[in-house]
Formats: sequence, structure tokens, C-alpha cells
Amino acid sequence: MRGVLAAFHELDAAVDAIEALKKLKLGAITVFTPTPRHEIEHALDQGPSPVRKFTLFGGLAGVTCGYWIAIWASDYWPLVVGGKPIASWVPYTIFGFEVMVLFGALSTVAGLFITARIPRLTMMVGYDPRFSHGDFGVWVECPPDKARTAEDLLREHGAKEVRVER
Amino acid sequence: MATLTKPVPAKDEPRRPNIATGDVQLPAVRDYEQVDREIIGTLHPTVAWFIGLGVAVFFLIVGASAWMYQIYNGLGVAGYNPPVMWGVYIITFVFWVGIGHAGTLISAILYLFRAGFRTTIYRCAEAMTVFAVMTAGLFPILHLGRPWKFFWLIPYPNWRYIWPQFKSPLVWDVFAILTYLTVSATFLYIGLIPDIAVLRDREKISPIRKRIFAQLSLGWRNTDREWRHFARAYLFLAAFSTPLVLSVHSVVSFDFAMALTPGWHTTIFPPYFVAGAIFSGIGMVFTIIIPLRKFFGLKHYVTINHLDAAAKLALFTSLVVGCAYMNEWFVAWFSGNEFEKAFFANRIWGQWWWASAILYTCNMVLPLSLFVQKLRRNAAWLFIISFTINIGMWFERFVIVVPSLSHEFEPWQWTSYRPTWVDYAILCGSFGWFSMWFLLFIKQLPVIAITEVKEIVPPKLRLAHPHGISPSGEHFDFEADTPGEHD
Repeated sequence: MRGVLAAFHELDAAVDAIEALKKLKLGAITVFTPTPRHEIEHALDQGPSPVRKFTLFGGLAGVTCGYWIAIWASDYWPLVVGGKPIASWVPYTIFGFEVMVLFGALSTVAGLFITARIPRLTMMVGYDPRFSHGDFGVWVECPPDKARTAEDLLREHGAKEVRVER
Repeated sequence: MATLTKPVPAKDEPRRPNIATGDVQLPAVRDYEQVDREIIGTLHPTVAWFIGLGVAVFFLIVGASAWMYQIYNGLGVAGYNPPVMWGVYIITFVFWVGIGHAGTLISAILYLFRAGFRTTIYRCAEAMTVFAVMTAGLFPILHLGRPWKFFWLIPYPNWRYIWPQFKSPLVWDVFAILTYLTVSATFLYIGLIPDIAVLRDREKISPIRKRIFAQLSLGWRNTDREWRHFARAYLFLAAFSTPLVLSVHSVVSFDFAMALTPGWHTTIFPPYFVAGAIFSGIGMVFTIIIPLRKFFGLKHYVTINHLDAAAKLALFTSLVVGCAYMNEWFVAWFSGNEFEKAFFANRIWGQWWWASAILYTCNMVLPLSLFVQKLRRNAAWLFIISFTINIGMWFERFVIVVPSLSHEFEPWQWTSYRPTWVDYAILCGSFGWFSMWFLLFIKQLPVIAITEVKEIVPPKLRLAHPHGISPSGEHFDFEADTPGEHD
């Protein structure tokens, strides 16, 4: 992976640079921010996160599993009380609910890990500890012949430091 | 999760923003670097911290020793006096589960409602939740005659060919508490990941700590991709945690409400327990956060505005709980049930009148002082009130458990109950256990969410701020906790 990395002190400068880079269509843009900002989201204009699909699947699997374990165990080891059903869905709703929450929450975390590509054993090219402190980083992938253009554009938009990384 | 740039209020603007909405400001926090510096600065151990940890471990050892004594001699050494076979252990179990409710309320429910005042107190409340539920989970095991058989409650294929009784509220409890503990711990950890990345990047002294933080942060890099999915996952975790908060203490209340015992067999128990749990949890949040903000020098993060807003929540839940108490009396009278009427008369005028008096004074009467704004904005008073809430809520569970069992239907069954030194030692041990984990937490991980606080701090801007604020931000003094404090 080859590209240009720029560090910005100011949020609006980073946003301007992202919008200019998008117009040039040099390559994929990654933005590093100390905290999530809507300004960056709007500039990048990405679609909704697919994490919700993991949540839905986990929740449905959980509610099914919760009811199933209670009903199956009651049938397997029946405690017969005259006039009462062996498997009673009313109290088993508690298990359905609790296991839905448990599976839904854990699958949401799994969804986060898969979509955000964590855990990572190594830092990606271009990461700088300043980006968790106070600075905003903009990384744009581009071929060597376009690197100069990207560097100039980033400096022009107020980058405090620009470097080519590979 | 993410925020848009908001202006710092000008000096002549009102100093009390409406922080019940997302409109929360920290006027004394200028920039992101200050947030990192000041919050990470709280992680250095001090002599006072070591002393506190030593005291907590001492109480833990006292409690553990009492438990070993109980295991060796049997449950008879606790103060059980049939038919009062639920005592201090079950009371303390319900007490700690209740404490564990405010954390998820503040971190999840207030997150969904975008209540700004949660930002600086939620991490503390969330950690408190996890440790409180860890503490609560010990008590059903302590209460078992043969505690080494506790795993029989977990449904798994086994050589005994038997399964738990899924129609028993005690089994519902196991599922509810384990789910709550798992989801709360997950919620806490997921929220911590970006903060641990900050600690990883700022750690300059110890390579071992840096390596541990690197592992725990899972290689978090603050990219837009990570933040986008993180925000969505956090929202869904909050959405799952919200009904979970309401369900867990409802399930705990079923332990009582499913029985036919007078004073227990009532449909009001689930909402009554949930409101009480939130009330007690907020009380404990005050007990913890008020000394923390003082000793850690974080008064400009957990401002008096935040305490004021949380005090309003405490007042509201106190009113709900008070309403539930009065409703109990009304139902006992209106039902025409002689046993219920006799039981409630005994609760107020009988042998446990003093416990009821403590309960009603601490939970209904004293919190009414929070109607006075000056008292809501007085940290010392809030700290005192938080103590009385904790005491009152423990006694609420005492009044629910002991008088009911000692005053059931048949007069020949009526008896008394007196906890022994083993009960008291294990009760103290639970506070030691909880405090030990909390003290370890506050010196290893940030007690205020770094990245969420950064969201409400104005970012540096290249161009002049639309409201005339300089790019470096303005610096205002924060308000005094008590009138005259800064004079």
C-alpha cells in the first residue's frame, strides 16, 4: 500500500482536504480522528454500517435458542403437574428474552470486529499516535506519479505535516 | 456518537446549559490535549489510593474468612431462624444487583435519550455496575449450603441426566444475572477500546504497560471505518441494554412476587424493584463520583451541572419509590385481605418498626430536600444524601425479606431474626470486594471516557469560530460546589 499521509491540527482544514481529494479521485481515503465527528462523516459520505445485520441475526438466533433450551429440557426431563403443560411458554419468554439480549449483544460485538477489521496485530501504514491525541490524519492511497499532486493539495489545505508512506 | 462543532457559550451567556439534552459544555476544558493530559494524569497511584486499597483488601479478607468458617461449620452459623431462611445474604444480593442498575441506566438509557450529563459520569457508573453485579453474583452462592454445587443451576448435558427447573424464578435469576453481567462487561469494554488506544499511544515509561494496552485496544487506530461501525455497534448495545436493565430487577422481584407470602405476592413488585434499583444505583454513583472528582481534580469535567441533573434523576426515582410504598399500603387496605393488612400493620408498628422508619426516612423524606436547587448544587449535601440512600435501600430489602418471612400466615410460625457476626463479616467483605475492584480499575483505566469527552470539547478550527470564539477555545472557571468555595 502506497500513499500520502497528512496531519492537520484543525478540523475544518481536514474536512476541506477530504472534499478536495474526493474531487481528484486519487484513491481510497482513510481519515484518523481522535473522536468521531459528523463533519468527517458528511465529507466522506459513506453508507450505513452493516453491523445491524449481525445484531438482527444474533437476536433472532438468541430468542430461538432461549425458547428451545427451556422447551427441550422440559420435554426431556418432564416434571408433570396435573393440568399444567409440561412446556409452558409464558415463563419461558424470560429465557427467550434474556438469551436474545445475550446473543444479540455478542453478535453485535462480532459484527463490529468483522466490519471494523479488529483486532489487528500491527498498526496500518500511516498510523501516528498523534491521531489519538489531538490531530486529524488524512491518508490517501495513490500511485507514485500522483503523490506529488496529493502532497501539494494537502499542504494547500493547511496540513501541518505531509509525508509519502509505503 | 459523533458530534458537530458547537460554540462555547460567550461569557455573558447563561452559565447553566440545558444538559438534559445533548447541549452540554465543559467551559474549563480547552482542547483534546488537555483532556488526555488531565484524565491520564489520574492514573498515577498515590499513597491515599494504596491505603484505600489496603482497607478494601482487609475487609475482603474478613469476609472471605467468615465464609470459610461458614463452609466448615455449615449455614447454621449465619442467623437463619426458620422460617426466616432468607436473611442478610439475599438482602445484600438484591442490594448489589440494585446498585448495578444505575450504570447501565446512565450509560445506555441516557445515551439513547441523548442526555448530555451522562458523558462524564457514565464510565464510572458502568464500572460500578460490573463490579456490583460481580459482588451480587457471589451471594446466591454464599447462601447455598453446598456452594460447590452452584453449577447445577446452569443447563448443560450432564451425567445426572437432569436439567434445571425452568419454571423456577431462581433459574430465571441465574439467566438474568449472567446475561446482565456479560452484556454490562461487554458494553464497558467496547466503550473502553478507543480510550485504551489513547493510553497505548501516550504510554512512554513502561513498555510492559504499553504492550498490555496494545493488546487490550485490539489495534484500534481511530480510522473513520472503525468509528462508523463502532458508533453503530455502541448504539445497538445500548438498545439491548435498555430493556435488560428493566428486565433484570423485574426477574429479581419475581423471586419474591411468585411466592404466596404476605407482602411479597403483588404485581407492583417489578416496577417497584426497578425504580428502587435505579434510585440506589444513583445514590452509589454519587458516593463514588463526588470524592473522585475532588481527589482527582476533575471538578471541571464532572461539573456541578452534572451533579444537579443526576440529583433530579435521584429525586424522580425517590418519588416513584415513595409512590410504590404508599401503593403497597393502599393495596393491603383496599384488597380486604386480612393477612396483608396484618402484615403491613406489623411492618410499621411491629417488631421491625425501626427498620421501616429508617427506610421511609432515608428513601422518601430526606430525598425531598433535592427539590431545593441550592441543595442539589451542593456536592457535600449530595454526598450525605447518597449515604442515606444506600442505607435506606439496604433496609428496604431488609423490610421486604425479614418481616414477611417472620410474620407469615400462622401465628405459631411467627419468629424473629438476628444476624450473626458471620453475616456482618460477609456484608463487610462484599464492600471490600467491590471497593478493591473499583480502586484497581480507577488506577489502570480512565474513569472518565476520554474520547466521549473530546466529542463535547470544541475542536481546533483554522477559520474563526462562527460565534467568535478563538480557535484555541475560551477558558472559563467552573462553578463552585458550595457557595463561597472559591472565595
